[in-house]
Amino acid sequence: MPLPVEDVINMVVANVVRRGTPISMSDDALNGWARELNLPKYGDTVLYTSQLYQMVPYARASVDMLEDLEKSTIGRILVGLGSRLASVYDVSKLTVRVSKEDISAQHDLLKGIARILNNIGISFGYMYDDELYSGVLLYDLGRDEDFRRHAERVSKLFKERGVKRIIAVDPHTTYILREVYPKFVDGFDVEVRNYLEILAEKSPEPKKKISETVTIHDPCYYARYLKIIDQPRNLLVNAGVEIKEPDRTKSLTFCCGGPIESIFPRISKEIASLRVDQLGSVCKNAVVMCPFCFENLSRADSGKVQLRDIAYYLSQSYGGVSI
Amino acid sequence: MSWLEDVLRALENEELQRGLRTAVKNMRTIRLETFSRFPYLTEELADYIRKTKEKVLKDLEKYVNQTLKSIEKTGAHAYLAKDGDEARKIVGEIVGDGRKIIVKSKSMVTEEIRLRQYLEERGHEVWETDLGELLIQLAKEKPMHPVGPALHMTRARCARVLKSIDPEITEDMSAEELTYRVRRFLREKFIKADVGISGANAIAADSGAVFIVTNEGNARHVTNLPPVSITVTGIEKIMPTTQDAFLQCIVQSVYLGSFPPAYISMISGPSRTGDIEARFVTGVHGPKDVHVVLIDNGRMQAAKHEYLWEQLLCVRCGYCLVECPPWNLSGNLWGGPAYGGPMGVGWTAITEGINVASSLATLCLGCGACKEVCTMKIDMPNIIRNLKKGIGH
Repeated sequence: MPLPVEDVINMVVANVVRRGTPISMSDDALNGWARELNLPKYGDTVLYTSQLYQMVPYARASVDMLEDLEKSTIGRILVGLGSRLASVYDVSKLTVRVSKEDISAQHDLLKGIARILNNIGISFGYMYDDELYSGVLLYDLGRDEDFRRHAERVSKLFKERGVKRIIAVDPHTTYILREVYPKFVDGFDVEVRNYLEILAEKSPEPKKKISETVTIHDPCYYARYLKIIDQPRNLLVNAGVEIKEPDRTKSLTFCCGGPIESIFPRISKEIASLRVDQLGSVCKNAVVMCPFCFENLSRADSGKVQLRDIAYYLSQSYGGVSI
Repeated sequence: MSWLEDVLRALENEELQRGLRTAVKNMRTIRLETFSRFPYLTEELADYIRKTKEKVLKDLEKYVNQTLKSIEKTGAHAYLAKDGDEARKIVGEIVGDGRKIIVKSKSMVTEEIRLRQYLEERGHEVWETDLGELLIQLAKEKPMHPVGPALHMTRARCARVLKSIDPEITEDMSAEELTYRVRRFLREKFIKADVGISGANAIAADSGAVFIVTNEGNARHVTNLPPVSITVTGIEKIMPTTQDAFLQCIVQSVYLGSFPPAYISMISGPSRTGDIEARFVTGVHGPKDVHVVLIDNGRMQAAKHEYLWEQLLCVRCGYCLVECPPWNLSGNLWGGPAYGGPMGVGWTAITEGINVASSLATLCLGCGACKEVCTMKIDMPNIIRNLKKGIGH
């Protein structure tokens, strides 16, 4: 039985509006990786995760739960309650179970990205427990007023803490801050860079060559909305990686299905399945570049492809550290 | 959300899933081939058509009036129907009472206003003559794609469905044999038909000429053999000049990949002669009575709407569907009662109301593939994101 769509949307929105994030996470789960690296708090330039990499294991557990609910009749009632309860309780936090391994796998990717940037002489800080989610979901769901309020809150924080430049590490955050924030927040003048753009521009010598063959899954927002297409390819090729392009690639990439995973878990997974098949027919190693592509594609993957975030390869070659 | 249950059921329908996969693969291949063969008919020309259509939409009322006058000048009768109800009534009156035989060519606008069902309810015998659309009619289903309505049916399924018009048909018959039998069956209907009903791919404001693109050639019979011809089309199909209307047909075919189409018909008024003592006589080999019904049904209002206006640029090539991930699984079961996929959500908002479309919008990924491949570069992700505003709260 399908989930009551309006209730699920209301629950997601209520969580973001009330708590500032779709899923509440502990300080350790959010910031443990940065503490390990001793990243300075703040600075002109900050690495801004918008909590997305950290959210992956939680999102998976939460979507698994929704998928179970979708299969059962009781789901309708529970989610219906959830939307009303969301104002008091954090439903997602109560029901989600996440493994330590999954959390540290995501942390490793963020550490990898931070190390490469440091290695090529980019200095930056991190906002730790002040870091807020970007609010992109509110925008995607057409909740423009809620989104505006959220974006204003985030921007105010940047201003108060003297943040002038942001290094974003995923497509959704890069897009929403660079292209959408200026339309919603008066005088938003924070410079928004993406770490792949910075790396490709600096084009550092790889510390280690990787002789692997991979196929590549462009995230929609990099390929179509931001035209970040060549940068990741150049970085991989310089590192010695051979890329076999899938049939649907670059600006014609095929979405992983992630954006609707919490509203239509079943359909979202079927879309991911189509994509996994397309990638798997080209090569069994597939590079992804967005934490949510990774999350949703791995839900559908039954060993057909080995999905790895691009940071895994970049860390090995440019950071000299295997993760 | 009954559409959602349809989509979830579609996931279990292996025949549909197989059909969609094959169709998507073929359509991607032929489009690429066409683009490489006719590069000069792609971007620049599409951009010109978009700008021309924008000009029409900004001044839609003026163009509608000009078109109505031009149609009358060709000797045809012109009508403007404000909604489906009015359009059905106009067509119903032209057709008249008694049991008439009506042959139809494929038209999404007639799906939109459920014209075939209306005429059947009034006791007429109505036949879809596009093979795919005939299959849909006989199977009582929804067209899965504006150009390939039955792309989800296997050959064996087609044979089972066609048995109702020819009991000798068996499941092991080839596509050629099935096609021949449909041709034989419909030939008689074409000859006996009292009325032919067609859609249009474009209509010229300056001359009133109607353009119809077809590969099967059925629309030629529909508009030519019966004594009465009725063309029903949306007002967004108006192009300022005859040349622009023709170019629009070219662009549409190229972007779908089926270029050159077997036929493009340009029809202006009744069939006529002056060969006997220069006396003007109508209805020689073609119809004596020609009617063109322009349909508003939300379009005039949409032309002034802050974001829906852009959907009116759509030439209905249906290629956005091919690249849309949800459509790859659902076919036109998602998108609205008549239209499907990303273009369908926009068209449903225009013709059925924003409330109906808002629910459909929730399935959109916002992935942007539709816009990337759209002939007219319509920002469908933006239209659909805005439609999501109507859901929840």
